[in-house]
Amino acid sequence: MGAGFHSCGVIGNRLNGWWLVLGILFLGTGCRITAASVPPHPHPFLVEHCVGCHGPEKQKGDFRIDTQLSLAFTNRLTAERWKEVLNVINGHEMPPPKEPQPSPAAAAAFVEWLTQELTQAEIDRRATEVTQRRLNRDEYNRTLRALLRIPFDAGQLLPADPPSGGFDNNGAGLTLSPLHLELYYSAARMALDRAMVSGAAPERIRWRFDPEEGSAGMDRYRVARGDQKQILLNGGRNRFTNGFTVLTIAGWDRNVDFRNFKVPVEGEYVIRMRAAGVVPDRAAFIESVRPFLEKERDEEIARNPKGRRGREEYFTNLLEHLRTEAMYDFGPPRVKVTQHLGGQPRVLREMDVEAPLDAPREIEFTARFTTKSAGLTFEYAYSIPKVLENHAWQGKDGVRRPELWIDWIEIEGPIEEGWPPPSHRAVISAAAEAIPGERDRAAVVLRDFMPRAWRRPVTDDEVASKLALYDRLRPAAVDFQDALKGALTAVLTSPHFLYLVEPSAAATRLDAWALASRLSYFLWSAPPDEGLVAAARSGALASDAVLSEQVDRLLADPRSEAFVRNFAGQWLGLRQVGANPPAPDLYPHYDRHLELSMVAESEAFFAEVLRGDLDVRSFLRSDFVVINERLGRFYGIPGVRGDRFRRVALAAGQRRGGLATQGSVLTITSNGTRTSPVKRGVWVLKTLLGQDPGLPVANVGEIAPKVPGIDKATVRQRLQIHRELPACARCHDRIDPLGFALENFDASGAWRDREGHGYKGRIERNDPVIDASAKLPDGTEVRGIEGLQEALVAREELFLRALSERLYTYALGRELGLSDAPRMRDAVATLQRDGRTLRRLIHHIVLSDAFRQP
Amino acid sequence: MIPFPHLNLGRPLSRRALLRGAGAALALPLLDAMVPVCLRAAPSTFTPLAKSGGAHPRAVFCYVPNGVNILDWVPAAAGREYALSPTLEVLKGHRERFTVLSGLGHPHAKGGHSGADTWLTGADLGAVPGKEYTNTISADQVLAESVGRHTRLPSLELSDQSGTGTAGHSHTLAFDRNGTPLPAEDSPRRVFERLFVPEDATSRAAILRRYAEKRSILDEVLGEAKALHGRLGNADQAKLDEYLSSVRETERRVRRLEEWVDIPKPVVDGSRLQLDMQPGNAHDRPMWIDVMLELTYLALVTDTTRVVTFEWSREAGGYGGGGENHHELSHHGGDKAMLTKLSGIDRFHLGRLERFLSFLQSTDEAGRPMLDQTVVVFGSGMNSGEGGDHSPRNLPLLVAGGAGLGFRHGQHLAHDPKNHPPLANVLLSVVRRAGGEVPGFSDATGEIGGGV
Repeated sequence: MGAGFHSCGVIGNRLNGWWLVLGILFLGTGCRITAASVPPHPHPFLVEHCVGCHGPEKQKGDFRIDTQLSLAFTNRLTAERWKEVLNVINGHEMPPPKEPQPSPAAAAAFVEWLTQELTQAEIDRRATEVTQRRLNRDEYNRTLRALLRIPFDAGQLLPADPPSGGFDNNGAGLTLSPLHLELYYSAARMALDRAMVSGAAPERIRWRFDPEEGSAGMDRYRVARGDQKQILLNGGRNRFTNGFTVLTIAGWDRNVDFRNFKVPVEGEYVIRMRAAGVVPDRAAFIESVRPFLEKERDEEIARNPKGRRGREEYFTNLLEHLRTEAMYDFGPPRVKVTQHLGGQPRVLREMDVEAPLDAPREIEFTARFTTKSAGLTFEYAYSIPKVLENHAWQGKDGVRRPELWIDWIEIEGPIEEGWPPPSHRAVISAAAEAIPGERDRAAVVLRDFMPRAWRRPVTDDEVASKLALYDRLRPAAVDFQDALKGALTAVLTSPHFLYLVEPSAAATRLDAWALASRLSYFLWSAPPDEGLVAAARSGALASDAVLSEQVDRLLADPRSEAFVRNFAGQWLGLRQVGANPPAPDLYPHYDRHLELSMVAESEAFFAEVLRGDLDVRSFLRSDFVVINERLGRFYGIPGVRGDRFRRVALAAGQRRGGLATQGSVLTITSNGTRTSPVKRGVWVLKTLLGQDPGLPVANVGEIAPKVPGIDKATVRQRLQIHRELPACARCHDRIDPLGFALENFDASGAWRDREGHGYKGRIERNDPVIDASAKLPDGTEVRGIEGLQEALVAREELFLRALSERLYTYALGRELGLSDAPRMRDAVATLQRDGRTLRRLIHHIVLSDAFRQP
Repeated sequence: MIPFPHLNLGRPLSRRALLRGAGAALALPLLDAMVPVCLRAAPSTFTPLAKSGGAHPRAVFCYVPNGVNILDWVPAAAGREYALSPTLEVLKGHRERFTVLSGLGHPHAKGGHSGADTWLTGADLGAVPGKEYTNTISADQVLAESVGRHTRLPSLELSDQSGTGTAGHSHTLAFDRNGTPLPAEDSPRRVFERLFVPEDATSRAAILRRYAEKRSILDEVLGEAKALHGRLGNADQAKLDEYLSSVRETERRVRRLEEWVDIPKPVVDGSRLQLDMQPGNAHDRPMWIDVMLELTYLALVTDTTRVVTFEWSREAGGYGGGGENHHELSHHGGDKAMLTKLSGIDRFHLGRLERFLSFLQSTDEAGRPMLDQTVVVFGSGMNSGEGGDHSPRNLPLLVAGGAGLGFRHGQHLAHDPKNHPPLANVLLSVVRRAGGEVPGFSDATGEIGGGV
């Protein structure tokens, strides 16, 4: 096999693929081989079958058993290489077919020996595994927000964390560098500066702008608000009706904006807009474009009377197209709001405006402003692809499109909930503030703040140390708060804050505080709240009943949104949506709103299964979808109005339901221009069946763009050629059929009956009909999505195991190993016995010994 | 008392004067050279300055992932009379200013997509028994240890994904003396802020007070971490070591900032640099590479740093100029069409390099081109070979510029891929000639040789 040994990941983990098989077959089947029976290295089996090509004489694939492998199984690199050996022997890849084959018994004996060794080594090593882990970026943000009660986002500041084992909360992957420390320091300081206030409450401004005032042209109209005398107000080149500014088309001179102002104080401001939307129906749209088309037709006929017949036919066909093409079903208008601060643009919101014209709505949201020169831009963001706009009316006013009606826009703030605001009180309580002596006050603040920041009780020494720091800083500090902030910055830069510290390798059980944190970061990506702290303090958390209660309480809390986003987002690969989007010229209907909706759909679907305690097999097949209006239009599911996601029952023939039919999954498993049955197969195999086919071996190449002898070769036919090579077929016979079954979904996730070979991928008369039939490795024949779903449901055990494994990995913040295999078996058995819900699985994990051990 | 241990009394003043002079010269050309903001993602029309702030030896290390189409890359003939290969034709305007080195590699490199981890270190990643991954100091950091004290930033690390990446898939080329990766930056805007945006404090005293406070706080957490260290198991101790060394390094940096408190950052108007380009966006990608190289150029020309590493794309990632999937194409299996596309990506990359070299060439520095004082190393840690194998041998490598530092260019220095000196020899030459006073480097057996 050779090449497989230097496939892409040198230190990659191929564990998942084979423990499934081996774990079931061999684990716990016998005693460990004792020291006396340690075989020599290389093992006689290897000497007989492998060393000839991977030894002193030949080193095929640069791999040499006698020198590159040893019996030091606890060494990670060595273990990884051994796992590859196990992989290729178990997969019948080695020895190659032309060489003499080992007897099944001999291969099994060798595999059993190796599995035992690797498993034991992993258990031995577990004692030295990393148990403490750094908060990742999202957890850090949420932690500061919870602690200081400020809307804080260090996302711009901190580098992204690398996922390891599929998740970015993996202790081994979360390294720390001087840059991190530098940024943690500034983030802590910045957050404290925002949280704590001094002096009187700042005066609030409330400035309203009527865009229609600024109709004189770009940057011609200035207004005064407060002390700002030169605010530029642009209504854009739009229609103004009844005091409303009506946006019907995107364009740089069509935006509404006001800028060149400074707010008096830095803080959170409300941006408010009174607006309405008008959605034209198809008849109104057609009537509005008809004059343009008629004019064009008449002009063309006048120019070339001989072509009259063709022109008239074209005109009729076009009108018919307008009557039938799905993309001309318009949705509500959309607005994108961008903040400019000191010259830097930042998109604050993108949203549908759903209010009807007879009941305009006030839409509001908050944004942070500094005292730098600022501006706000309101853009028409409903995407009308170019192909929908015939050149006769492209960019013309008078054509009915979704209309955004803006009455006025306001900015109000800074918004504080009382004075001093809750964020200040989160640091200095009213009682503490009343203490006359500065040093005593600092001591009380620290004693109160530190346990919350460190998620555990603190010792007197620990407080004294921070108080001593305060003492050192106080003489040079501007005032009391300045010195206090210094000491608090140390609290928030401390390893006790930045790491989930679960100390002492010897302990067999987490203490109550560490357990409380592990639970809250699992389900909230945030620190324990008062309820959890109370349960930890009283010791009640040690009881299964209380722990279970807490799980239910945390899941019911809105903060569990973090679990949906972080777990589902990474499990399903939602963070890749849009990384290689469907090509705009081939899939013009794919726009930003659709992309955002696809991600939100999968999250909302996961949340529905979680919160509704639905059977987790809904992930494989469901008789409902969770969608908004945009997706309703995309999927062809009528009657869904509004941008809100809601559960919609599927009618017969709507061909959706389950994860594999969702736009998010279908686009991330495509190549932008075409579908990729390979990527789709791998996704199904990994995500739904828990089998990692590994990375492609080297020297295989892209699939051929053309197939000799076939005029319009489908992706499927092109892959077929690829798979005739034995080197490819070995894996791809397992992978591709799963993807073929999804071939009725194009690279944008839309349904298709034929594969288009026309101009820009359009489907023409003789284009090939999709063949979505497939044969699974075990010989089962399936056809299309329904067939695949049925096959998946029939293999529910694999799915339950895959889901358990991913959820365990996320919950523990470490990769799983062979020694975890029995836990997975337990989890599957529990689900099958007590109900297949996510809640059941989460309870099972939280109550497991793995979750309660360091 | 604020110590200035590394600066002699004469330097800060003359330096400040120099930088102010440079600042004034910098502001104008940038202003009128930039494209309007509304043409987002249009090609940059950045133009270089006429003059640099002063002549200093510098080194820039540029890395491209996934190897190149080596068939179109390596020139057919060796020696000074060689003809440029189809790919290298892009650089023909600079033919006498660079050397093509073929056949080299790091003897210990593991192959696959771990090339960026060892490209500048030459380390054996599995060298330490019982540890899954160990790296060693990279050439740029060795150089920074010698020349870094002269500049505000000892070195600058850039890549297409912020952070360090994971062991074996590094997002940075730079590793410190402990072999810890130094995180790289991917945002043009954040790089710009770090290099050219002044500290927002009211006075010198206030800034110094901030620094002193920061050192007190770092001292405090250092003590705390040490106390915690003893209570942990081995692996957790190793984890906490990252924290401890980061605190110490941050303390060193604060001391350094204290030394630089009287020297303002150079004035560069960035309002029209394309600072919002995103590396993850295939459409932005060409302009993103350009703006990162523009920032590299500005960092050098203002003498903000003399050592830059730039991983253009991380291994197993990256795009071509038209958004092609670079990694997918590197698994070409000898397929002609894919190899052609791969060469297209190589030429796209060299086009960006050509532009950067031209900036340096056109900037005058004490009567000579700035390129003469700047050595630019360009290459990959992987070779996708004739058949798409991901080999660490026969790596694509160019060394350009540095004529004033002793480099003699204009030849193809070919080595036998089966019997060649370690690549570290080249790195050792670069380090020494750019001002690094070092007895040796990694597994180098000597300098570059071949009359280069």
